[in-house]
Amino acid sequence: MSERKKVIGEAVSRIDGFMKVTGTANYATDFPISNTAYAFLFKSEIAAGKVMDIDTSAAEKVTGVLAVVTHKNAAKLTPSRGLRGGGILQDNNVEFWGEHAGFVVAETFEQARYAARLIEIKYEKAAAKTDFEKHEKEAVKPKAEDRADKIRGDFASAFQTGAVTVDEIYETPIEHHQPMAPHATIAVWDAADKLTIYNESQVVNGVQGAVAQTFGLEPKNVRVITPHIGGGFGSKGGAWGHVILAAMAAKAVNRPVKLALTRQMMFDSVGLRQKNVQHLRLAATKDGKFTALAHETTTHSAINEEFVEPCGDVSAHMYEVPNSRISYRVAAMNIITPTYTRGPGKSTGSFALESAVDELAYKLKMDPIELRIKNEPAKDPSNGKPWSSRSVVECLRKGAEAFGWSNRKAQPRANVQGDFYVGFGVACGTYPARQRDTSAIVKLTRGAGANVTAAIELAASDLGTGTNTILAQTAAETLGLDVNQISVKIGDSALPPAAGSVGSVGAASFANAVYEGCLKALNELQAKTNRQYFNAPTAAELLDAANLKFYETRVDAKPPEGTDKYSSHSFNANFAEVWVNRSTGMTRVKRFVAATGAGRILNPKTAHSQIIGGGIWGIGMALHEESLIDPRYGNFATRSFADYHIPSNLDVGEMKSVFINEEDKIVNKMGIKGIGEVGIVGVAAAVANAIFNATGKRVRSLPITPDKLI
Amino acid sequence: MRPFVYTRVDDAAKAVSSAAANTQASFLAGGTNIVDLMKEDVARPTELIDINRLKLAQIRLIGEGANRGNIAIGALAKNTETANHPLVRQNYPLLTQAILAGASGQIRNMATNGGNLNQRTRCTYFYDVAMPCNKREPGTGCGALEGINRMHAIFGWSEKCVAVYPSDMAIALAALDATVKVQGANGATRSIPFAEYHRLPGDNPEKDNTLQPGELITEIELPKNNFAGKSYYLKIRDRASYAFALLSVAAGLEMNGATIKQARIAMGGVAHKPWRALEAEKFLSGKAATEANFAAAAEAEMKSAKPLEHNKFKVELGKRAIVRALSMAMSGGKA
Repeated sequence: MSERKKVIGEAVSRIDGFMKVTGTANYATDFPISNTAYAFLFKSEIAAGKVMDIDTSAAEKVTGVLAVVTHKNAAKLTPSRGLRGGGILQDNNVEFWGEHAGFVVAETFEQARYAARLIEIKYEKAAAKTDFEKHEKEAVKPKAEDRADKIRGDFASAFQTGAVTVDEIYETPIEHHQPMAPHATIAVWDAADKLTIYNESQVVNGVQGAVAQTFGLEPKNVRVITPHIGGGFGSKGGAWGHVILAAMAAKAVNRPVKLALTRQMMFDSVGLRQKNVQHLRLAATKDGKFTALAHETTTHSAINEEFVEPCGDVSAHMYEVPNSRISYRVAAMNIITPTYTRGPGKSTGSFALESAVDELAYKLKMDPIELRIKNEPAKDPSNGKPWSSRSVVECLRKGAEAFGWSNRKAQPRANVQGDFYVGFGVACGTYPARQRDTSAIVKLTRGAGANVTAAIELAASDLGTGTNTILAQTAAETLGLDVNQISVKIGDSALPPAAGSVGSVGAASFANAVYEGCLKALNELQAKTNRQYFNAPTAAELLDAANLKFYETRVDAKPPEGTDKYSSHSFNANFAEVWVNRSTGMTRVKRFVAATGAGRILNPKTAHSQIIGGGIWGIGMALHEESLIDPRYGNFATRSFADYHIPSNLDVGEMKSVFINEEDKIVNKMGIKGIGEVGIVGVAAAVANAIFNATGKRVRSLPITPDKLI
Repeated sequence: MRPFVYTRVDDAAKAVSSAAANTQASFLAGGTNIVDLMKEDVARPTELIDINRLKLAQIRLIGEGANRGNIAIGALAKNTETANHPLVRQNYPLLTQAILAGASGQIRNMATNGGNLNQRTRCTYFYDVAMPCNKREPGTGCGALEGINRMHAIFGWSEKCVAVYPSDMAIALAALDATVKVQGANGATRSIPFAEYHRLPGDNPEKDNTLQPGELITEIELPKNNFAGKSYYLKIRDRASYAFALLSVAAGLEMNGATIKQARIAMGGVAHKPWRALEAEKFLSGKAATEANFAAAAEAEMKSAKPLEHNKFKVELGKRAIVRALSMAMSGGKA
């Protein structure tokens, strides 16, 4: 890059922060659309069977009601592959409790909600598979190719002859994403074949495609608008049934329709993280060299929809081990389909792997950091490829220093402070780094007083993590402008197609496209002038030289060639200090440090927020979060924030994030590896390991609530 | 929510007469529970009688002669104001601690003392209208009895209902031997000893308390006590704040030299009402305030516990909590 004032990597405050804190940022249902009607869903109250009859007469009589739609009168659609969770009223089958059974449309939200209460549904119940413990044994090999058994070497004999071994089951419960903003959609039919959807979508073009295919429309005739997202964590990745039903409702009443889910509905409408039972076996020599590792996961998915999060992935990449076995088995059950949830597979998988490594370290009487470093792989053990960069050792060393690891006592219950056992724990994490195809338009304008501004346009999305800001920084530095001269327009499928804010691909895909687009604009302008420059010219200088008031260009950015010869991942090391009350078992994470090696950090301020956000969710995963199904019915018994706990301020102590200075010239042009997912990976294990260090109790089933510690 | 009539009243007599005229009416004070229940379709009042204009928000000294030093807290005083009132902070720190252990700052700013006493169980089966619940809909059965009952009762439950009463404030009031003053039709008033205010579920779990239809709580009276310096409210929960108790203990000790003259122990999260640990109190009377005696008292109390499938841990937790709360009370709240 040219010699520029450094903007990328600076702690720039969010460019949309003022809008957000003053309430002028429009989230999905905030858009002022005239003549809007309101839809309210009603849901099945059985987990398996058929809807035999629906009495809508009382609801239809309610003042303001415009329509009641059920499978009997729903528009016939062609569900697309990108559509998740079913529930679009195409038949009378019920496959899970809470599947959408219909909706009421009325003049006001309150009228629609009241009328929905008056719907009477008669069912024919079928035997429902709702008890995981009962159906676990029916689990079979997944259909997905990348969940096939992965075997290296000879695990069985290596494990048998291991000098020291760990052989344990680790369990993680169903969790829900529950972003701050519940899912909501406004659907507007601009013409019979032209639809605009206001929705919070992590993957703008993905939702566009799924909706278009389902309604048999041209993708270009479906416009998805999603400028701001109030969190998503994976749940806003795909199009769920309610998005389709909002459009169906708008068609039914020939008016724009708003459809919002209640907090309670969020538990059975937009996916979940499934329960995982992970069998982890790890063997090592007497001096701590790993010899065998098996990571076998049993889980559940929906009756007609398979999703299996890759818990074993961490075990594939983290350590040098010659004999390994990674497998998945999945049972189809009458529970809504699982979907991507922050750190999919890795956050849950790392709880198993990194707990087992801690158990092994304790058995070996080795420091868990030294044990990990001892098994550091030179190449990716899963495929033999070299790393584009890997900073696990630096993460462990720098993190240990920032945390004060040297004060740790190796023996449990050795650190007692008044009524509390104090413990330190460490655990590592990883997540793949990838760039996805993304296009972008760069528009340069020279206005009055030769003030040059740039507009950046692409169908990216900002989950609330700071995407708008990092794109403005990227454009500003590349073009030689200030951040306040850049306007970023994203969250609109009418803009050039972009990757999604999923799987930690967002920053790398969007920022590289903006970077390339800006460079392209500069190069094209340079070609229009004869002027020679000693230093790389700015956009302002080139517009001036080319005597242009406006210039626009577009780039279709792709991952650099040859990156597939390398293995690219972000890594971290997490450190937790816990205080466990000796008589009540209540646990508080007093201090937490995450050391992260994730390539180039575009904005240390927003990156810090994202990492500690992952850390806090990891604390919730370790101590609080659990969705419980009553197997007699198949419903979630924990269906509000009174029952589904996430950490409160008082549960979270000092949160610190340290980034390793990592220059990765291979992963992509800008050297970005992504931080969204990795922030939560390894956190739950660090907390659980700290609890063991504090109390001597090894809890292998999350969450670690007080009753498990007394 | 379902349509309802909103009525605003200016005095207690009108409030009571309005309620007497419509058995389907509910009083509206802070609204932190009734509004939620209406949104969830759990409560379906046809009328809300807004009592916020009633002059019932005072916290004052009452009593003459030997009773000088008693206080009365108004039914409409906010939880926050009550917890922080100098009369309460100085003389009833147990009550302050218990109130501040409940809900969140925002909710306590809205919630009133009368409303706090009348808040309904947080049992998830009660809150989900798709589930059976004898408390919400008598005769439908108890969803929790053989369902998910980790949060539920270990004392005093019936086959009809295993829910627990959720208030923290009321656990302290039980230990403090409060009296609930109510006003009924025709201006009639009565005083209900706290132990008789809430009830066990028996065959009628739909009834949380012994209020008669239309009766309105006006004040809660607190007798003065001699254990302000030796009291403690211990709340054990799944997270550090904004969570209902797995189990809580309000403890107060009145000492006579080195021996316990009188112990007061009430437990939350274990029964359909604040559970006075009378066995433990009886055991401790006249004994030395030692950890061994606290443990023996806890043992005596928890002997009669009848846990359900998912809350067996509450028996051990209850023992530990009684011991810890008493120890903390003895040390004046310092660990």
